[in-house]
Amino acid sequence: MRNFEFLEPRTVPEASRMLADHGETARPLAGGTALLLLMRQRIASPSHLVYLDGVPGLNSIHVDDRNGARIGALTRHSEIEAHPGLRAKYPVIAEMARRVANPQIRNMATIGGNLCYGDPASDPPACFLALGGEVKAVRGSQERVIRLEEFFTDYYETALAPDEILTEVRIPPLPKGSVGVYTRFTTTQAEHRPLVGVGVLLTLEGRDSCREIRVALGAATPIPVRLGKVEEFLRGKRLSAEVLAQASEIAATEIRPPSDFRGSAEYRKDVVRVLVRRAVERALAWAAH
Amino acid sequence: MAKRQIGLRVNGEEHELLVEPRRLLLDALRDDLGLTGTKRGCEEGVCGCCTVLVDGRNVKSCLMLALQAREREITTIEGLKQPDGSLHPIQEAFVQHGALQCGYCTPGFIMTAKALLDHRPPLTEEEVREGLSGNICRCTGYVNIVEAILALSRGGAAAKR
Repeated sequence: MRNFEFLEPRTVPEASRMLADHGETARPLAGGTALLLLMRQRIASPSHLVYLDGVPGLNSIHVDDRNGARIGALTRHSEIEAHPGLRAKYPVIAEMARRVANPQIRNMATIGGNLCYGDPASDPPACFLALGGEVKAVRGSQERVIRLEEFFTDYYETALAPDEILTEVRIPPLPKGSVGVYTRFTTTQAEHRPLVGVGVLLTLEGRDSCREIRVALGAATPIPVRLGKVEEFLRGKRLSAEVLAQASEIAATEIRPPSDFRGSAEYRKDVVRVLVRRAVERALAWAAH
Repeated sequence: MAKRQIGLRVNGEEHELLVEPRRLLLDALRDDLGLTGTKRGCEEGVCGCCTVLVDGRNVKSCLMLALQAREREITTIEGLKQPDGSLHPIQEAFVQHGALQCGYCTPGFIMTAKALLDHRPPLTEEEVREGLSGNICRCTGYVNIVEAILALSRGGAAAKR
C-alpha cells in the first residue's frame, strides 16, 4: 500500500473542504474494508484519506412513524441488524443486514461506505431501492437528497461529486399494510456476495390482489434497478401462480445482466426468473396473515 | 509522509507507537508489539486468521489501519491467558474437542468464538456456523470447532471469563 496523509475532520463541511482542497486523489475513509483492499491491490492510491469516524452524529439510527428510518452513514451493518426500532418497523432491513458479507466485516463496514462504493454485488442497494430509499449528501455548506434511483450511475460509480459526502440513508414510512421482502441467491453456501438479489415492497388489495408493488433487482445488473415493467404488470392483478410466472418471465426479459466469474448472463436470467417469483410469493404469504 | 505517534490499548496495556498512516492494525500488533498470535493469512479480509476483538466485536485486523484502532479496547489471543497462566475456557474446549489440526487458523477462530459467546448465548448450531462464516480452516476441521463452541454455549458462564 502506498503511503498517504491521514486527515481527521471534525465536521462534515470540513471533511468536504478537505476533499475539495486535495482534489480527486483524496478519498473519504469510513470502515475501510473496501477502500483498504483497493489500496493494497494498488487499484486506488489516494494521496489523502479523510477519516470520517471523528465526525459526530453520523452513526445513529432514528425510526419513527412520521419520518420513517434515518440511518447515519457510519452505522455498521451489525448495528443495523441489531437495532430494535428497525427490527420492529423494518424487519426486512434488519434481516438483509444480517446477511451482508461476513460477521467481521459487518462489525467494520458502514452502510454509507457500502452505498458509496457502488459495488453491484451487494445486498443493501436493492433492498433500499425497493423500500423507496434516499440518501442525504453534503458538499461544503450545501446539502441535497438523492433518490437511490438516481444515486447509482454505473459499476462502482455514484452521483456524488468527489467532495460530496453521504451522511444519511432515509427510508420513508412504509405504506399501511405493506410488506417488504429481500431475498437473494449465492452460488455456493460459502459465497458471501449475491449473484442476484431481489427486493419487493407489496401492498395488497383484499386478500391476494396487488394494489401497489415495487420490485428492485440487485447484483444481476451493473447498477441496482427497479423492474418497472414487472411492477406495471402486477399492479391491480390477482397474484395467482400464473400471474407470478408471467411476471418473472417479464423480469428475465427486461434486464441485460453481465457475465462474470459468478455466473453467465443466461444463468443470471434464470435465477432472476426464480427469485422474483419467490420474493413476491413470500411477500404475499406474509401480507396475507 | 510523517509518522504518527499513537496510543494503542491492547489486552489492557497501553502502548505508544510511531507508525506510518498506512500501518495495518495486524502489522502493528505482530511487528511493532510482537504479538504474533494473531496470524497473517490471506491479507484480503477473507480467511479470518487475523481476527481480533475491537471493543468486544470481532474484526479483521488486515482491513483496519492501526490509526483506526486508537482509543479502542483491543483484545488478541494473547489477552485470553488467565491470570494464573492457564488456558482460557474457549482454548480448553478447543483442546478437549480436537478443534484444531495445523492450528494456523485457530487464534482467529477462538477470537470469533469469544465474540459469539460473549454477545448472544445460548447459541444454536446454525448461529455458530453463521457466526464462523468469516473464518476459514483449510484443514476443514469445522465440525469439532462447532461442537466446542456449542458445548461452551450450553455450559453458560464458564466461557465468559
